[in-house]
Amino acid sequence: MSQTSGSDDSLYRRDPKVYPRDVTGTFASLRKLAMVVLLGLYYIVPWINWAGHQSILFDLPARKFYIFNLTFWPQDFIFLTLMLIIAGLSLFFVTAVWGRLWCGYACPQTVWTEAFLWLERLVEGDRSKRIKLDASPWNRNKILRKSAKQFLWISFALWTGFTFVGFFTPIRELGGSIANFQTGPWETFWLLFYSFATYGNAGILREQVCKYMCPYARFQSAMFDKDTLVIAYDEKRGEPRGGRRKSIVPSEQGLGDCISCTLCVQVCPTGIDIREGLQIECIACAACIDVCDQVMDKMGYDKGLISYTTEHRIGGRETHMLRPRIFVYSFLLLALVAGVIYKVNDRVLLRADLLRDRNALYRELPDNMIENVYTLKLINMDLKPHQYRIEVVDNDDMVLFISPQPSLKPEEVGNFILRMQAPASAGRGSLKVDVRFSTMEEPIIERTVSTRFLMPFK
Amino acid sequence: MTTEHPVNRRWSMRQRDWAVVLWIAFLSAAAGFFVLFGLIDPLDMVSAWADEFDIGVRLAYGLAFTFLYLVCLLAAWLTMFMIRTGPVSGHVKGEGRRSIPEIKDPTQANPDLKGEDWK
Repeated sequence: MSQTSGSDDSLYRRDPKVYPRDVTGTFASLRKLAMVVLLGLYYIVPWINWAGHQSILFDLPARKFYIFNLTFWPQDFIFLTLMLIIAGLSLFFVTAVWGRLWCGYACPQTVWTEAFLWLERLVEGDRSKRIKLDASPWNRNKILRKSAKQFLWISFALWTGFTFVGFFTPIRELGGSIANFQTGPWETFWLLFYSFATYGNAGILREQVCKYMCPYARFQSAMFDKDTLVIAYDEKRGEPRGGRRKSIVPSEQGLGDCISCTLCVQVCPTGIDIREGLQIECIACAACIDVCDQVMDKMGYDKGLISYTTEHRIGGRETHMLRPRIFVYSFLLLALVAGVIYKVNDRVLLRADLLRDRNALYRELPDNMIENVYTLKLINMDLKPHQYRIEVVDNDDMVLFISPQPSLKPEEVGNFILRMQAPASAGRGSLKVDVRFSTMEEPIIERTVSTRFLMPFK
Repeated sequence: MTTEHPVNRRWSMRQRDWAVVLWIAFLSAAAGFFVLFGLIDPLDMVSAWADEFDIGVRLAYGLAFTFLYLVCLLAAWLTMFMIRTGPVSGHVKGEGRRSIPEIKDPTQANPDLKGEDWK
């Protein structure tokens, strides 16, 4: 089955195309369940409306992110950062305990590849039929099957691209504009781009992405230890391998339990032989465990020749689930999650930015008063309309003038000119002033902002 | 007085890697900075929290360049790391690369497996 590149002059080997054989079993079922749930969420969630808007919508033109009941503004950037840190730490934690669980079951590359493979099998059949079809000359059957596969792949990729853009543009409006051929240029670009990326990654590149392009696989050694769950072949039990009749006693023939059927290689989506030890290319999908267990069953041997295990267990030592790095990751994760939940619930649904007029530091008025002018940007982050009261905190000298009177609709941003006046005798230089903004309606939402009031220096 | 042979002063692979990373990141950040300089006036961008620090134009541009340089540095380093740590692509007949796994008909040497579709 080994192949080299077409030319004999080439010194380098080209990897053969991988035709993963379909597999059933406990882990295959889990993988399919993960695929259905994750893809289901991806394709269905944007169609669900929640609290008067699309359940998840990243509204870039309005600079607002809707996630179910929550609305995030650019000022909430810290939450996005914290969520990314939580996602990163979760990956560390999961990897340290369960190894490449993410790669095998939840990574978009795995999930979409699984879906594309399912479509391929639907049209071209399982491994042996696909190999035969690819090797056969172009005839009516091959043209029909390849065309049908491409049609399904491209349709699925386009639907994926459409759904992706639907997270950024309300998906119902997007569907309408596509039906009327009225999509905007950026929507068209991203729809096609994401469709192309899905088609290319899941249909064409597949395992090459995991092997050559994914940085996560390269950083694993930093997260793994000898107690991390890995998929491994029990070499002591399996070797020496070799074919046999079911009726023989392997030990009497000098054989281990591996019957060298190579089914573990045939089901592997990255085309590796797990019997050669832990490899960076293994995405821990456990397809080899499922098929090997079936073979062991058929031969009347114990299951588990290939299994989820740890390096410690392989070496005959005890595996420790609770270890320092797990405690550190858990503690950091819990602290961050608790902090984010607390801060999200504690958010003040009012934002006020005071920007001093840069053209004039201050203005001297006829009645011996000094005036500073500010641009006030007020954001009502609440889902109700509000009128606002504005006052200077603990400073009777300061007088505020604002026009028009601040009143904002739900989730509206308003810009106002705010003038602040103080008698010239109130001080010299730069004075710190606290301005309090509060709603006139109950329950009161309030925020205090500090700014500088400039007076003559002499 | 002895003169050191020039070959002895050659950089190691790691030194060369880092020199390339630092230099390419600098060039990329410089290119990005020219675009930024042409399009953006930092004084138009200061928000209320930055206003309090009264960041001048030079400092704003300096911080922008530093940020761009760090982003480019990360991209360049990651590129180097990915190339240096990839699956080994050895000589087709030589060492350094795992051989392509052998695949055969499961029933070839195991007649009792006949009749199974292994799904």
